Amino acid sequence: MFRVILYSQWKWSRFIIGLGTVAGFGLPILSVQSATRTGDHPLQAGELLQTIQSWGALYPVLAAALAVLVAIATWAPDHRGRHVHALTLPLPRWRYALLRFGAGLALLAPPVLAVLIGAGLATALAAIPAGLQGYPVALAARFALAVGVGYAVFFAISAGTTRTASAILLVIGALIVIQVVARVAAVDLDVVTRLQILLVNWPGPLAIFTGRWMLIDV
Amino acid sequence: MYSRGCRILIATLLAAPPLVGQTVGELRARADSLARDWRQANALADLQDTLRHLARRSGRDTIRVGALTILANTSPLPLQEAAAQAWPVIERLYGPAAQAIAEHPIVILAVDPDTAVDRPPVGPGLQVPWNLSVRDLTRLLQSRVDLGPVDPGLREWLRGSLLLRDDTARRRSMVYVQLVTAPSVAVRRCFLGAVAACRDALSLSEAPDILTRWYDPAERRALATRMYLSPAGAGQTRVLSCKSGNDSACLDLLESSPPARPLDYEARFTLVELALHVGGRDAFLRLLDANPRDVADRLAAVAGVGVDSLVARWLGEIRAARPVPADVPPLGTWVALGWMGVFAAFGLGSSRWRVS
Repeated sequence: MFRVILYSQWKWSRFIIGLGTVAGFGLPILSVQSATRTGDHPLQAGELLQTIQSWGALYPVLAAALAVLVAIATWAPDHRGRHVHALTLPLPRWRYALLRFGAGLALLAPPVLAVLIGAGLATALAAIPAGLQGYPVALAARFALAVGVGYAVFFAISAGTTRTASAILLVIGALIVIQVVARVAAVDLDVVTRLQILLVNWPGPLAIFTGRWMLIDV
Repeated sequence: MYSRGCRILIATLLAAPPLVGQTVGELRARADSLARDWRQANALADLQDTLRHLARRSGRDTIRVGALTILANTSPLPLQEAAAQAWPVIERLYGPAAQAIAEHPIVILAVDPDTAVDRPPVGPGLQVPWNLSVRDLTRLLQSRVDLGPVDPGLREWLRGSLLLRDDTARRRSMVYVQLVTAPSVAVRRCFLGAVAACRDALSLSEAPDILTRWYDPAERRALATRMYLSPAGAGQTRVLSCKSGNDSACLDLLESSPPARPLDYEARFTLVELALHVGGRDAFLRLLDANPRDVADRLAAVAGVGVDSLVARWLGEIRAARPVPADVPPLGTWVALGWMGVFAAFGLGSSRWRVS
Protein backbone atom coordinates (compact mmCIF):
# COMPACT_ATOMS: atom_id res chain seq x y z
CA MET A 1 0.00 0.00 0.00
CA PHE A 2 2.79 2.41 0.98
CA ARG A 3 4.59 1.86 -2.31
CA VAL A 4 1.43 2.61 -4.27
CA ILE A 5 0.81 5.81 -2.33
CA LEU A 6 4.48 6.77 -2.62
CA TYR A 7 4.37 6.23 -6.37
CA SER A 8 1.20 8.28 -6.78
CA GLN A 9 2.64 11.13 -4.69
CA TRP A 10 5.87 10.98 -6.65
CA LYS A 11 3.91 11.48 -9.87
CA TRP A 12 2.15 14.51 -8.37
CA SER A 13 5.20 16.17 -6.85
CA ARG A 14 8.19 15.01 -8.90
CA PHE A 15 8.64 18.42 -10.50
CA ILE A 16 8.84 20.10 -7.08
CA ILE A 17 11.17 17.41 -5.75
CA GLY A 18 13.41 17.65 -8.82
CA LEU A 19 13.70 21.41 -8.56
CA GLY A 20 14.25 21.22 -4.80
CA THR A 21 17.00 18.64 -5.23
CA VAL A 22 18.83 20.76 -7.78
CA ALA A 23 18.46 23.87 -5.60
CA GLY A 24 19.56 21.97 -2.50
CA PHE A 25 22.67 20.72 -4.24
CA GLY A 26 23.51 24.03 -5.87
CA LEU A 27 22.96 26.33 -2.91
CA PRO A 28 26.00 25.28 -0.82
CA ILE A 29 28.21 25.17 -3.91
CA LEU A 30 27.16 28.68 -4.92
CA SER A 31 27.65 29.98 -1.39
CA VAL A 32 31.35 29.13 -1.40
CA GLN A 33 32.12 30.02 -5.01
CA SER A 34 33.92 33.20 -3.93
CA ALA A 35 36.13 31.15 -1.62
CA THR A 36 37.14 28.76 -4.39
CA ARG A 37 38.09 31.46 -6.87
CA THR A 38 41.81 31.62 -7.50
CA GLY A 39 42.14 35.40 -7.58
CA ASP A 40 45.06 37.58 -6.46
CA HIS A 41 43.12 38.51 -3.33
CA PRO A 42 40.97 35.62 -2.10
CA LEU A 43 38.22 36.31 0.42
CA GLN A 44 39.38 36.81 3.97
CA ALA A 45 37.68 35.06 6.85
CA GLY A 46 35.38 37.96 7.75
CA GLU A 47 34.24 38.49 4.16
CA LEU A 48 33.75 34.75 3.66
CA LEU A 49 31.57 34.53 6.77
CA GLN A 50 29.47 37.45 5.55
CA THR A 51 29.00 35.80 2.17
CA ILE A 52 28.12 32.47 3.75
CA GLN A 53 25.65 34.18 6.08
CA SER A 54 23.96 35.98 3.19
CA TRP A 55 23.54 32.76 1.26
CA GLY A 56 22.47 31.02 4.46
CA ALA A 57 19.20 32.95 4.48
CA LEU A 58 18.11 30.86 1.46
CA TYR A 59 18.22 27.49 3.27
CA PRO A 60 15.14 28.11 5.46
CA VAL A 61 13.36 29.65 2.47
CA LEU A 62 14.05 26.53 0.41
CA ALA A 63 13.02 24.29 3.32
CA ALA A 64 9.75 26.17 3.81
CA ALA A 65 8.97 26.25 0.07
CA LEU A 66 9.56 22.52 -0.29
CA ALA A 67 7.47 21.81 2.81
CA VAL A 68 4.50 23.88 1.62
CA LEU A 69 4.51 22.63 -1.95
CA VAL A 70 4.91 18.95 -1.09
CA ALA A 71 2.26 19.18 1.66
CA ILE A 72 -0.20 20.78 -0.80
CA ALA A 73 0.67 18.27 -3.51
CA THR A 74 0.08 15.44 -1.02
CA TRP A 75 -3.56 16.32 -0.45
CA ALA A 76 -4.54 18.25 -3.59
CA PRO A 77 -5.56 15.23 -5.74
CA ASP A 78 -7.60 13.80 -2.85
CA HIS A 79 -9.40 17.11 -2.39
CA ARG A 80 -10.02 17.38 -6.14
CA GLY A 81 -11.42 13.84 -6.28
CA ARG A 82 -13.55 14.50 -3.17
CA HIS A 83 -11.72 11.66 -1.39
CA VAL A 84 -13.63 9.00 -3.32
CA HIS A 85 -10.49 6.93 -3.89
CA ALA A 86 -9.53 7.10 -0.21
CA LEU A 87 -13.03 6.14 0.91
CA THR A 88 -12.98 3.04 -1.30
CA LEU A 89 -9.87 1.73 0.46
CA PRO A 90 -10.30 -0.67 3.40
CA LEU A 91 -8.32 1.63 5.71
CA PRO A 92 -9.19 3.86 8.65
CA ARG A 93 -8.60 7.54 7.96
CA TRP A 94 -5.69 7.92 10.37
CA ARG A 95 -3.82 5.11 8.68
CA TYR A 96 -4.42 6.53 5.23
CA ALA A 97 -3.23 9.94 6.44
CA LEU A 98 -0.18 8.33 8.05
CA LEU A 99 0.73 6.65 4.76
CA ARG A 100 0.35 9.97 2.97
CA PHE A 101 2.48 11.71 5.62
CA GLY A 102 5.19 9.04 5.42
CA ALA A 103 5.23 9.12 1.62
CA GLY A 104 5.61 12.91 1.66
CA LEU A 105 8.50 12.68 4.11
CA ALA A 106 10.18 10.01 1.98
CA LEU A 107 9.87 12.23 -1.08
CA LEU A 108 11.53 15.07 0.80
CA ALA A 109 14.60 12.91 1.40
CA PRO A 110 16.28 13.59 -1.99
CA PRO A 111 16.48 17.40 -1.48
CA VAL A 112 17.89 16.83 2.01
CA LEU A 113 20.46 14.39 0.65
CA ALA A 114 21.29 16.88 -2.09
CA VAL A 115 21.99 19.54 0.54
CA LEU A 116 24.24 17.10 2.40
CA ILE A 117 26.19 16.13 -0.72
CA GLY A 118 26.38 19.71 -1.99
CA ALA A 119 27.52 21.01 1.39
CA GLY A 120 30.16 18.28 1.70
CA LEU A 121 31.44 19.01 -1.78
CA ALA A 122 31.42 22.76 -1.18
CA THR A 123 33.46 22.55 2.02
CA ALA A 124 35.92 20.22 0.31
CA LEU A 125 36.37 22.62 -2.60
CA ALA A 126 36.53 25.88 -0.63
CA ALA A 127 39.78 27.40 0.59
CA ILE A 128 38.71 27.77 4.21
CA PRO A 129 40.88 30.24 6.17
CA ALA A 130 42.56 29.12 9.38
CA GLY A 131 40.24 29.16 12.35
CA LEU A 132 37.10 28.49 10.31
CA GLN A 133 35.49 25.10 9.78
CA GLY A 134 32.88 23.57 7.53
CA TYR A 135 29.71 22.11 9.04
CA PRO A 136 28.02 20.21 6.17
CA VAL A 137 26.43 17.52 8.32
CA ALA A 138 25.06 19.96 10.92
CA LEU A 139 23.66 22.17 8.14
CA ALA A 140 22.02 19.24 6.34
CA ALA A 141 20.58 17.91 9.62
CA ARG A 142 19.10 21.30 10.39
CA PHE A 143 17.71 21.53 6.86
CA ALA A 144 16.11 18.10 7.31
CA LEU A 145 14.50 19.14 10.59
CA ALA A 146 13.21 22.40 9.10
CA VAL A 147 11.74 20.58 6.11
CA GLY A 148 10.18 18.01 8.44
CA VAL A 149 8.61 20.56 10.80
CA GLY A 150 7.39 22.74 7.92
CA TYR A 151 5.93 19.73 6.13
CA ALA A 152 4.14 18.56 9.30
CA VAL A 153 2.64 22.02 9.86
CA PHE A 154 1.33 22.38 6.31
CA PHE A 155 0.29 18.72 6.15
CA ALA A 156 -1.93 19.32 9.21
CA ILE A 157 -3.37 22.49 7.67
CA SER A 158 -4.00 20.79 4.30
CA ALA A 159 -5.57 17.76 5.97
CA GLY A 160 -8.04 19.89 7.88
CA THR A 161 -11.51 20.88 6.80
CA THR A 162 -12.47 24.25 5.43
CA ARG A 163 -13.93 25.00 8.84
CA THR A 164 -10.53 24.38 10.47
CA ALA A 165 -8.80 26.65 8.00
CA SER A 166 -11.49 29.30 8.61
CA ALA A 167 -11.03 28.99 12.36
CA ILE A 168 -7.26 29.49 12.04
CA LEU A 169 -7.76 32.53 9.82
CA LEU A 170 -10.37 33.88 12.24
CA VAL A 171 -8.00 33.58 15.20
CA ILE A 172 -5.22 35.36 13.29
CA GLY A 173 -7.65 38.09 12.21
CA ALA A 174 -8.92 38.51 15.78
CA LEU A 175 -5.37 38.90 17.07
CA ILE A 176 -4.67 41.61 14.51
CA VAL A 177 -7.90 43.43 15.39
CA ILE A 178 -7.07 43.26 19.11
CA GLN A 179 -3.62 44.63 18.38
CA VAL A 180 -4.98 47.53 16.34
CA VAL A 181 -7.64 48.36 18.95
CA ALA A 182 -5.06 48.23 21.73
CA ARG A 183 -2.81 50.60 19.84
CA VAL A 184 -5.64 53.03 19.16
CA ALA A 185 -6.66 52.93 22.83
CA ALA A 186 -3.01 53.43 23.87
CA VAL A 187 -3.10 50.20 25.89
CA ASP A 188 0.30 48.60 26.49
CA LEU A 189 -0.57 45.28 24.86
CA ASP A 190 1.58 43.70 22.16
CA VAL A 191 -0.07 40.42 21.27
CA VAL A 192 1.49 40.02 17.83
CA THR A 193 5.06 40.46 19.03
CA ARG A 194 4.50 38.07 21.94
CA LEU A 195 2.99 35.51 19.60
CA GLN A 196 5.88 35.95 17.20
CA ILE A 197 8.37 35.44 20.03
CA LEU A 198 6.53 32.29 21.10
CA LEU A 199 6.60 30.91 17.58
CA VAL A 200 10.12 31.73 16.43
CA ASN A 201 12.13 31.53 19.66
CA TRP A 202 13.16 28.22 21.18
CA PRO A 203 11.28 26.05 21.98
CA GLY A 204 8.72 27.46 19.53
CA PRO A 205 7.68 25.37 16.52
CA LEU A 206 9.28 27.68 13.95
CA ALA A 207 12.52 28.29 15.86
CA ILE A 208 14.35 25.78 13.67
CA PHE A 209 13.92 28.18 10.74
CA THR A 210 15.46 31.18 12.51
CA GLY A 211 19.04 32.06 13.40
CA ARG A 212 22.17 31.81 11.30
CA TRP A 213 22.48 28.99 8.77
CA MET A 214 26.23 28.73 8.38
CA LEU A 215 27.93 26.16 6.18
CA ILE A 216 31.29 27.56 7.31
CA ASP A 217 31.75 29.14 10.72
CA VAL A 218 34.32 29.57 13.51
CA MET B 1 76.05 112.99 49.93
CA TYR B 2 73.61 112.44 47.19
CA SER B 3 76.08 110.52 45.10
CA ARG B 4 76.99 108.37 48.13
CA GLY B 5 73.33 107.56 48.78
CA CYS B 6 72.89 106.72 45.11
CA ARG B 7 75.88 104.41 45.18
CA ILE B 8 74.53 102.62 48.27
CA LEU B 9 71.13 102.18 46.59
CA ILE B 10 72.68 100.81 43.38
CA ALA B 11 74.93 98.50 45.41
CA THR B 12 71.91 97.23 47.41
CA LEU B 13 69.94 96.59 44.23
CA LEU B 14 72.81 94.72 42.64
CA ALA B 15 73.40 92.64 45.76
CA ALA B 16 69.72 91.65 46.12
CA PRO B 17 68.90 88.04 45.06
CA PRO B 18 66.79 87.67 41.90
CA LEU B 19 63.04 87.26 42.40
CA VAL B 20 61.87 83.64 41.83
CA GLY B 21 58.77 83.36 39.61
CA GLN B 22 56.87 80.11 38.84
CA THR B 23 57.58 78.14 35.71
CA VAL B 24 54.91 77.32 33.14
CA GLY B 25 54.93 73.70 34.30
CA GLU B 26 54.39 74.68 37.90
CA LEU B 27 51.60 77.05 36.91
CA ARG B 28 49.93 74.27 34.90
CA ALA B 29 50.28 71.84 37.80
CA ARG B 30 48.62 74.33 40.15
CA ALA B 31 45.83 74.96 37.65
CA ASP B 32 45.33 71.19 37.22
CA SER B 33 45.26 70.74 40.96
CA LEU B 34 42.65 73.49 41.29
CA ALA B 35 40.59 71.95 38.50
CA ARG B 36 40.81 68.54 40.22
CA ASP B 37 39.66 70.05 43.51
CA TRP B 38 36.87 71.86 41.72
CA ARG B 39 35.67 68.64 40.05
CA GLN B 40 35.85 66.76 43.34
CA ALA B 41 33.89 69.50 45.11
CA ASN B 42 31.26 69.42 42.36
CA ALA B 43 30.98 65.62 42.59
CA LEU B 44 30.55 65.85 46.35
CA ALA B 45 27.95 68.57 45.97
CA ASP B 46 26.07 66.42 43.44
CA LEU B 47 26.25 63.48 45.79
CA GLN B 48 24.94 65.60 48.66
CA ASP B 49 22.09 66.87 46.48
CA THR B 50 21.22 63.34 45.49
CA LEU B 51 21.25 62.10 49.07
CA ARG B 52 19.15 65.05 50.19
CA HIS B 53 16.75 64.39 47.35
CA LEU B 54 16.51 60.70 48.23
CA ALA B 55 15.99 61.46 51.89
CA ARG B 56 13.27 63.94 51.03
CA ARG B 57 11.43 61.57 48.73
CA SER B 58 11.46 58.54 50.95
CA GLY B 59 13.41 56.64 53.52
CA ARG B 60 17.03 55.87 52.74
CA ASP B 61 18.84 52.56 53.00
CA THR B 62 22.56 52.08 53.31
CA ILE B 63 23.69 48.64 52.28
CA ARG B 64 27.23 47.51 53.04
CA VAL B 65 28.75 44.23 51.98
CA GLY B 66 32.52 44.20 52.33
CA ALA B 67 33.72 47.53 51.03
CA LEU B 68 30.76 47.80 48.68
CA THR B 69 28.51 50.60 49.90
CA ILE B 70 25.16 51.36 48.32
CA LEU B 71 22.93 54.29 49.17
CA ALA B 72 19.38 53.84 47.96
CA ASN B 73 15.81 54.84 48.66
CA THR B 74 13.55 52.28 50.30
CA SER B 75 12.11 49.93 47.67
CA PRO B 76 11.58 46.23 46.89
CA LEU B 77 14.82 46.26 44.85
CA PRO B 78 16.83 43.18 46.00
CA LEU B 79 19.94 45.22 46.75
CA GLN B 80 21.13 43.17 49.73
CA GLU B 81 21.14 39.91 47.74
CA ALA B 82 22.72 41.54 44.70
CA ALA B 83 25.43 43.18 46.80
CA ALA B 84 26.11 39.87 48.54
CA GLN B 85 26.61 38.24 45.14
CA ALA B 86 28.56 41.12 43.62
CA TRP B 87 31.09 41.68 46.39
CA PRO B 88 32.92 38.31 46.28
CA VAL B 89 33.35 38.74 42.52
CA ILE B 90 34.62 42.31 42.92
CA GLU B 91 37.03 41.23 45.65
CA ARG B 92 38.30 38.34 43.57
CA LEU B 93 38.82 40.53 40.51
CA TYR B 94 40.42 43.54 42.19
CA GLY B 95 42.11 41.98 45.23
CA PRO B 96 43.09 44.35 48.06
CA ALA B 97 42.49 47.31 45.74
CA ALA B 98 38.76 46.60 46.04
CA GLN B 99 38.80 48.14 49.53
CA ALA B 100 39.11 51.54 47.82
CA ILE B 101 35.52 51.36 46.57
CA ALA B 102 34.32 52.16 50.09
CA GLU B 103 35.26 55.75 49.24
CA HIS B 104 32.96 55.72 46.21
CA PRO B 105 29.48 54.65 47.35
CA ILE B 106 27.02 53.69 44.63
CA VAL B 107 23.86 55.82 44.74
CA ILE B 108 20.72 54.14 43.46
CA LEU B 109 17.24 55.57 43.04
CA ALA B 110 14.78 52.71 42.67
CA VAL B 111 11.86 53.83 40.51
CA ASP B 112 8.49 52.42 39.62
CA PRO B 113 8.92 50.48 36.35
CA ASP B 114 5.33 51.08 35.24
CA THR B 115 4.97 54.78 35.73
CA ALA B 116 5.22 57.22 32.86
CA VAL B 117 5.76 60.17 35.22
CA ASP B 118 8.95 62.14 34.59
CA ARG B 119 11.61 61.22 37.10
CA PRO B 120 13.76 63.87 38.71
CA PRO B 121 17.49 63.82 37.98
CA VAL B 122 19.57 62.02 40.61
CA GLY B 123 22.98 63.57 40.00
CA PRO B 124 25.70 60.91 39.88
CA GLY B 125 23.25 58.21 41.01
CA LEU B 126 21.48 55.54 38.98
CA GLN B 127 17.77 55.24 38.29
CA VAL B 128 16.88 51.57 38.45
CA PRO B 129 13.41 50.04 38.04
CA TRP B 130 12.64 48.28 41.30
CA ASN B 131 11.60 45.06 39.57
CA LEU B 132 15.15 44.43 38.28
CA SER B 133 16.25 40.83 38.89
CA VAL B 134 19.02 39.95 41.35
CA ARG B 135 21.20 38.77 38.44
CA ASP B 136 20.87 42.00 36.47
CA LEU B 137 21.32 44.09 39.58
CA THR B 138 24.47 42.14 40.48
CA ARG B 139 25.90 42.85 37.04
CA LEU B 140 24.97 46.50 37.36
CA LEU B 141 26.75 46.79 40.70
CA GLN B 142 29.84 45.06 39.31
CA SER B 143 29.90 47.46 36.39
CA ARG B 144 29.72 50.51 38.68
CA VAL B 145 32.85 49.74 40.66
CA ASP B 146 34.92 52.90 40.79
CA LEU B 147 38.49 52.59 42.00
CA GLY B 148 39.50 56.06 40.99
CA PRO B 149 41.22 57.12 37.79
CA VAL B 150 43.50 54.84 35.79
CA ASP B 151 46.57 56.59 34.40
CA PRO B 152 46.30 58.03 30.89
CA GLY B 153 48.97 55.73 29.40
CA LEU B 154 47.04 52.58 30.24
CA ARG B 155 43.71 54.16 29.28
CA GLU B 156 45.11 55.26 25.93
CA TRP B 157 46.44 51.78 25.19
CA LEU B 158 43.25 50.11 26.35
CA ARG B 159 41.03 52.68 24.60
CA GLY B 160 38.38 52.26 27.26
CA SER B 161 37.76 52.07 30.96
CA LEU B 162 39.02 49.29 33.13
CA LEU B 163 35.86 47.68 34.41
CA LEU B 164 36.34 44.06 35.30
CA ARG B 165 33.36 41.78 34.95
CA ASP B 166 32.72 38.15 35.60
CA ASP B 167 32.20 37.15 31.96
CA THR B 168 35.67 36.08 30.90
CA ALA B 169 34.53 33.11 28.81
CA ARG B 170 32.18 35.24 26.70
CA ARG B 171 34.81 37.91 26.15
CA ARG B 172 37.42 35.36 25.14
CA SER B 173 35.00 33.82 22.65
CA MET B 174 34.47 37.26 21.14
CA VAL B 175 38.23 37.72 20.84
CA TYR B 176 38.54 34.28 19.21
CA VAL B 177 36.15 35.44 16.49
CA GLN B 178 38.21 38.60 16.07
CA LEU B 179 41.43 36.63 15.79
CA VAL B 180 39.92 34.54 13.04
CA THR B 181 38.12 37.24 11.12
CA ALA B 182 40.09 40.50 11.51
CA PRO B 183 41.48 41.58 8.13
CA SER B 184 45.06 41.88 9.37
CA VAL B 185 48.15 39.88 8.57
CA ALA B 186 49.42 40.39 12.13
CA VAL B 187 46.24 38.95 13.59
CA ARG B 188 46.30 35.95 11.26
CA ARG B 189 49.94 35.22 12.13
CA CYS B 190 49.09 35.67 15.80
CA PHE B 191 46.29 33.12 15.53
CA LEU B 192 48.72 30.68 13.95
CA GLY B 193 51.01 31.02 16.96
CA ALA B 194 53.51 33.85 16.27
CA VAL B 195 53.88 35.61 19.63
CA ALA B 196 55.70 38.60 18.10
CA ALA B 197 52.75 39.10 15.75
CA CYS B 198 50.41 38.93 18.75
CA ARG B 199 52.42 41.70 20.42
CA ASP B 200 51.98 43.80 17.28
CA ALA B 201 48.29 42.97 16.99
CA LEU B 202 47.72 43.88 20.63
CA SER B 203 49.53 47.20 20.08
CA LEU B 204 52.15 46.28 22.68
CA SER B 205 55.03 47.31 20.43
CA GLU B 206 55.44 50.89 19.34
CA ALA B 207 57.46 50.37 16.17
CA PRO B 208 57.31 53.22 13.64
CA ASP B 209 56.40 50.77 10.87
CA ILE B 210 53.52 49.32 12.87
CA LEU B 211 51.00 49.93 10.05
CA THR B 212 52.96 47.74 7.67
CA ARG B 213 53.25 45.10 10.37
CA TRP B 214 49.52 45.20 11.04
CA TYR B 215 48.29 45.13 7.46
CA ASP B 216 49.61 43.86 4.13
CA PRO B 217 49.26 46.12 1.03
CA ALA B 218 45.88 44.71 0.00
CA GLU B 219 44.54 45.15 3.53
CA ARG B 220 45.91 48.68 3.71
CA ARG B 221 44.20 49.49 0.42
CA ALA B 222 40.88 48.05 1.61
CA LEU B 223 41.12 49.81 4.97
CA ALA B 224 42.07 53.19 3.54
CA THR B 225 39.33 53.15 0.91
CA ARG B 226 36.82 52.13 3.55
CA MET B 227 37.93 54.93 5.88
CA TYR B 228 37.76 57.55 3.15
CA LEU B 229 34.56 56.67 1.34
CA SER B 230 33.75 60.18 0.18
CA PRO B 231 36.90 62.30 0.44
CA ALA B 232 37.06 65.88 -0.73
CA GLY B 233 39.82 67.99 -2.25
CA ALA B 234 43.36 66.71 -2.11
CA GLY B 235 42.27 63.65 -0.17
CA GLN B 236 40.30 62.48 -3.19
CA THR B 237 43.46 62.28 -5.30
CA ARG B 238 45.23 60.23 -2.66
CA VAL B 239 42.25 57.89 -2.29
CA LEU B 240 42.08 57.37 -6.05
CA SER B 241 45.81 56.74 -6.10
CA CYS B 242 45.47 54.28 -3.21
CA LYS B 243 42.58 52.51 -4.94
CA SER B 244 44.65 52.14 -8.08
CA GLY B 245 47.30 50.28 -6.10
CA ASN B 246 49.71 52.98 -4.89
CA ASP B 247 50.68 51.65 -1.48
CA SER B 248 52.45 54.80 -0.33
CA ALA B 249 49.22 56.76 -0.92
CA CYS B 250 47.37 54.22 1.20
CA LEU B 251 49.99 54.53 3.93
CA ASP B 252 49.73 58.33 3.79
CA LEU B 253 45.97 58.10 4.24
CA LEU B 254 46.23 55.68 7.14
CA GLU B 255 48.95 57.69 8.86
CA SER B 256 46.92 60.89 8.60
CA SER B 257 44.12 59.44 10.72
CA PRO B 258 44.07 57.85 14.19
CA PRO B 259 45.67 54.39 14.01
CA ALA B 260 43.15 51.73 13.05
CA ARG B 261 44.19 48.96 15.39
CA PRO B 262 43.46 45.47 14.11
CA LEU B 263 42.13 44.19 17.44
CA ASP B 264 39.62 46.02 19.56
CA TYR B 265 39.24 46.81 23.25
CA GLU B 266 38.07 43.30 24.19
CA ALA B 267 41.32 41.72 23.03
CA ARG B 268 43.49 44.11 25.06
CA PHE B 269 41.12 43.85 28.01
CA THR B 270 41.36 40.04 28.08
CA LEU B 271 45.15 40.40 28.17
CA VAL B 272 44.92 42.73 31.20
CA GLU B 273 42.46 40.34 32.81
CA LEU B 274 44.84 37.42 32.30
CA ALA B 275 47.79 39.42 33.67
CA LEU B 276 45.75 40.19 36.78
CA HIS B 277 44.75 36.55 37.13
CA VAL B 278 48.33 35.32 36.75
CA GLY B 279 49.68 38.05 39.01
CA GLY B 280 47.70 37.04 42.09
CA ARG B 281 45.98 39.13 44.73
CA ASP B 282 48.14 42.26 44.60
CA ALA B 283 48.19 42.38 40.81
CA PHE B 284 45.59 45.12 40.52
CA LEU B 285 47.57 47.39 42.85
CA ARG B 286 50.63 46.86 40.61
CA LEU B 287 48.51 47.70 37.57
CA LEU B 288 47.41 51.00 39.10
CA ASP B 289 51.04 51.93 39.67
CA ALA B 290 52.00 53.97 36.60
CA ASN B 291 55.62 52.72 36.66
CA PRO B 292 56.92 51.44 34.32
CA ARG B 293 55.37 53.65 31.66
CA ASP B 294 55.53 51.09 28.86
CA VAL B 295 52.34 49.02 28.85
CA ALA B 296 54.09 45.78 27.87
CA ASP B 297 56.55 46.12 30.76
CA ARG B 298 53.79 47.05 33.13
CA LEU B 299 51.69 44.02 32.18
CA ALA B 300 54.76 41.85 32.65
CA ALA B 301 55.22 43.39 36.12
CA VAL B 302 51.53 42.83 36.93
CA ALA B 303 51.64 39.19 35.87
CA GLY B 304 55.11 38.54 37.28
CA VAL B 305 56.17 36.78 34.07
CA GLY B 306 57.80 37.95 30.83
CA VAL B 307 55.53 39.69 28.36
CA ASP B 308 56.12 37.00 25.72
CA SER B 309 55.07 34.28 28.15
CA LEU B 310 52.02 36.29 29.07
CA VAL B 311 51.05 36.84 25.43
CA ALA B 312 51.65 33.16 24.60
CA ARG B 313 49.42 32.14 27.48
CA TRP B 314 46.79 34.67 26.38
CA LEU B 315 46.83 33.17 22.88
CA GLY B 316 46.38 29.69 24.32
CA GLU B 317 43.43 30.82 26.42
CA ILE B 318 41.79 32.57 23.48
CA ARG B 319 42.25 29.58 21.19
CA ALA B 320 40.72 27.38 23.86
CA ALA B 321 37.66 29.66 24.00
CA ARG B 322 36.44 28.80 20.52
CA PRO B 323 32.71 29.58 20.49
CA VAL B 324 30.18 26.87 19.78
CA PRO B 325 28.93 27.73 16.29
CA ALA B 326 25.62 25.87 16.25
CA ASP B 327 22.53 28.04 16.54
CA VAL B 328 20.37 25.05 17.40
CA PRO B 329 20.42 24.52 21.17
CA PRO B 330 21.38 21.09 22.57
CA LEU B 331 17.76 19.98 22.91
CA GLY B 332 16.73 21.71 19.68
CA THR B 333 16.69 18.53 17.63
CA TRP B 334 14.32 16.83 20.05
CA VAL B 335 12.14 19.93 20.25
CA ALA B 336 11.86 20.03 16.45
CA LEU B 337 11.07 16.31 16.27
CA GLY B 338 8.47 16.84 18.99
CA TRP B 339 6.76 19.61 17.03
CA MET B 340 6.85 17.45 13.92
CA GLY B 341 5.06 14.71 15.86
CA VAL B 342 2.50 17.14 17.29
CA PHE B 343 1.56 18.58 13.89
CA ALA B 344 1.54 15.16 12.26
CA ALA B 345 -0.85 14.01 14.99
CA PHE B 346 -3.13 16.97 14.18
CA GLY B 347 -3.10 15.89 10.54
CA LEU B 348 -3.89 12.28 11.40
CA GLY B 349 -6.39 13.06 14.12
CA SER B 350 -9.02 14.85 12.07
CA SER B 351 -12.14 12.66 12.13
CA ARG B 352 -13.68 13.87 8.93
CA TRP B 353 -12.83 13.75 5.26
CA ARG B 354 -12.67 17.08 3.62
CA VAL B 355 -15.56 17.02 1.15
CA SER B 356 -16.51 20.60 0.67
